[in-house]
Amino acid sequence: MTAHTADPAAAEGFWLIRQYNRLTLRQRRTLMGYVFIAPFILGFVLWWLGPAAVAGYLTFHKWNFLAAPKFVGMANFSKMLGDPILAQSLKVTIVFSVISVPLGLVFAFFLANLINAKFRFIAIFRTIYFLPSIVPAVANAILWAWLFNTEFGLINFVIRAFGGPKIGWLQDPNWVMLAFVILTVWGVGGSMIIFLAGLQGIPQIFYEAAEIDGAGRWQRLLYVTLPMMSPIIFFNLVIGFINSFQVFVSALLITNGGPQRATLFLVLHIWRTAFSSQKMGYAAVLSWLLFLILMVLSFFVFRYIGSRVYYENPGD
Amino acid sequence: MSISRREFLKLTGGSATAAAMLAQLGYLPPALAQDVTNITFGGWGGVAEDEGVKSAIEVFEAENEDIDVEWLHTPSAGDYGRVLLSSIAAGTAPDTGFILSDNYETLAVGGALMDITDLVKNDPLLGQPGYFLEPQEANRCEVNGRWYGIGSTWVAHHFYYNAEMFEAEGITPPGFQDDEIWEWEEFLEICKVFTKDSAGRHPGDAGFDSEDIVQWAVDWPFWWMPLGLAAHANGGEFLTEDGLIGLDSPEAMEGLQRITDLVYAHHVAPRSAALASLGMNNVQMVDSGRLAMAVDGSWALSWMNPSLMNVAMGTGALPKMQQPASIMQAHFHSVLAGTDHPEEAWRWVRFLATPFYQEHFCKIGLWIPNQTAMLTEEGLKGWIREGIHPPNYSQFATDYLPKHGVAVAIPPGYIEAANDYINPAFEGLANGERAEDIMPDAVRGANEVLMAAKEDM
Repeated sequence: MTAHTADPAAAEGFWLIRQYNRLTLRQRRTLMGYVFIAPFILGFVLWWLGPAAVAGYLTFHKWNFLAAPKFVGMANFSKMLGDPILAQSLKVTIVFSVISVPLGLVFAFFLANLINAKFRFIAIFRTIYFLPSIVPAVANAILWAWLFNTEFGLINFVIRAFGGPKIGWLQDPNWVMLAFVILTVWGVGGSMIIFLAGLQGIPQIFYEAAEIDGAGRWQRLLYVTLPMMSPIIFFNLVIGFINSFQVFVSALLITNGGPQRATLFLVLHIWRTAFSSQKMGYAAVLSWLLFLILMVLSFFVFRYIGSRVYYENPGD
Repeated sequence: MSISRREFLKLTGGSATAAAMLAQLGYLPPALAQDVTNITFGGWGGVAEDEGVKSAIEVFEAENEDIDVEWLHTPSAGDYGRVLLSSIAAGTAPDTGFILSDNYETLAVGGALMDITDLVKNDPLLGQPGYFLEPQEANRCEVNGRWYGIGSTWVAHHFYYNAEMFEAEGITPPGFQDDEIWEWEEFLEICKVFTKDSAGRHPGDAGFDSEDIVQWAVDWPFWWMPLGLAAHANGGEFLTEDGLIGLDSPEAMEGLQRITDLVYAHHVAPRSAALASLGMNNVQMVDSGRLAMAVDGSWALSWMNPSLMNVAMGTGALPKMQQPASIMQAHFHSVLAGTDHPEEAWRWVRFLATPFYQEHFCKIGLWIPNQTAMLTEEGLKGWIREGIHPPNYSQFATDYLPKHGVAVAIPPGYIEAANDYINPAFEGLANGERAEDIMPDAVRGANEVLMAAKEDM
């Protein structure tokens, strides 16, 4: 018996190397490609596809964590139709989305234009404007809870300094939605940076040509910047809508859905249904509902707004 | 045969390592392996609870050398509840654990908790008649006549007051004896004395500015325990005998309205919805003289006690509307049904229901005993501590709670009913809405959830 066959593991290893060496260059590259994407594929299957499939299975079942899931047919779906709390959470989410997304886009676009200017220390301003978007969600929630503090919050301090009333931002159902919109708009740094990249990609020659033709600042914005930026605006719009339907951390930590369900966002309702009410089957239905809403919304956005987007190189 | 020193070390070291590995894997016969059973204990709590449990484990393990208890600590009770549910679903639940009172019946009926009825009844100590404060203990522990856990303690609401403010006004503070408990109207009059705007005017005085109050009489929070007790104090019920919400009865709604009126009609309490936004908690408000009386749970004594306050403070019973009442509850200690070591798990849960463990937390003001032996003159010496407990505090445990404490058994489905209907209604009360306008709908919705949960079980 030779030395290298005495150790089966080593022999196995050698066998693998031998098999690898027999592959053609093309096969080796293909294999390595799969090896490199394997972590993503595994993660995708384990943490996305798997749970989505389980959620699909659970939609037809009643499961409270304690006993085995019990088949209930379409009961979870029919429950959805007469659920007043779901109706409220959808209303809250849609109102928030309709207000915060356009506002966030305008604000991010405005900021991007500001920091697109060329002057000293511009990098510092860009960093300052971008910083809020990388503040961790929990820290962000705690920070804003203090800023919105009725008695000692900075926002009420400023309002009262101008003679305004003391607003119960987080206690008054009529004001709390606006508080969440402000909180969200504050974190537009990500969209702003994408807008900035888009602005810097517009060839200067277009502006020069427009200027020669007598276009003023406003006309250059309307007829050069906006059309050239339309793919970026479209991208931020789609992402903005998707994000606006997934508000959770701030609603959980700042108001826990209150006051009087005024911030009961859909994802918070799903989470409570699953982990507080122990209705995993119904929560799965609500999760698929969220997916369906986002899919339909994206379809309409692509169908009716996407067709108006100008692509310089549509074939790319 | 002679062996070298190096060979000897190799042999002995190798043998020890192999024995340790085999013992770990359970391959050694009991006579060779140290026969210790490991059980896990899940729970939540702050630093005080964490340290208390750890020291209890040390004592228990010293008395029970065949059992090792591993403490699985989660800081927040809410997070712990979700962790426990997930671990039950995954088949990795702890052997023993804290069980939230609002989920106890759900878990018991769902088969997640071990039936310990016979163990409790046949236990030479715990099975003694009158060992626990009854009927409150049986009321909360029994689910369909069976015990699935033992109450850890009792907690209930009472007043914490700034004694110096009472002395300055010449008002006798409330106590825990029946003849020391205020009538509601008497309480309102006293509240008016303590409440002042920045010009020193009281509610009812000409020119009193309710938007410019600098000193409040009372803070009465708007969540289920302090509001539920108001329903009982006014002759209503928070939960009916059928396990439904009873906050839509005329008596209960009047009780709730009285609390809302403290803020919006009498202007003697701060808007509790904005309590957090006052920038001070109730302790700081009492300590700074901005608040005469705080309604809070008995657990708050562990941080709102004479040794930690800058002012002289005291405790007393809440005023009666129709009758004195305070809701009593606390978490349970249970053996999880999936445990592989039911005997050892029971021995640990049993230990938690003995005076040693409870005394530890009672001494620091966090708990009130549920064991009658700790309520005797001798028993009180074991946990009443000067500097922590005001002089009359033992009467809360010995007189007030046995007579006026209302132990609630929280039914399955309550968490959903509360999240979806009752808590939003309480927020409405805190925002000044009238009880009769919002409670009937909220209770109807909540009770539909509770009835559906009952049918599911």
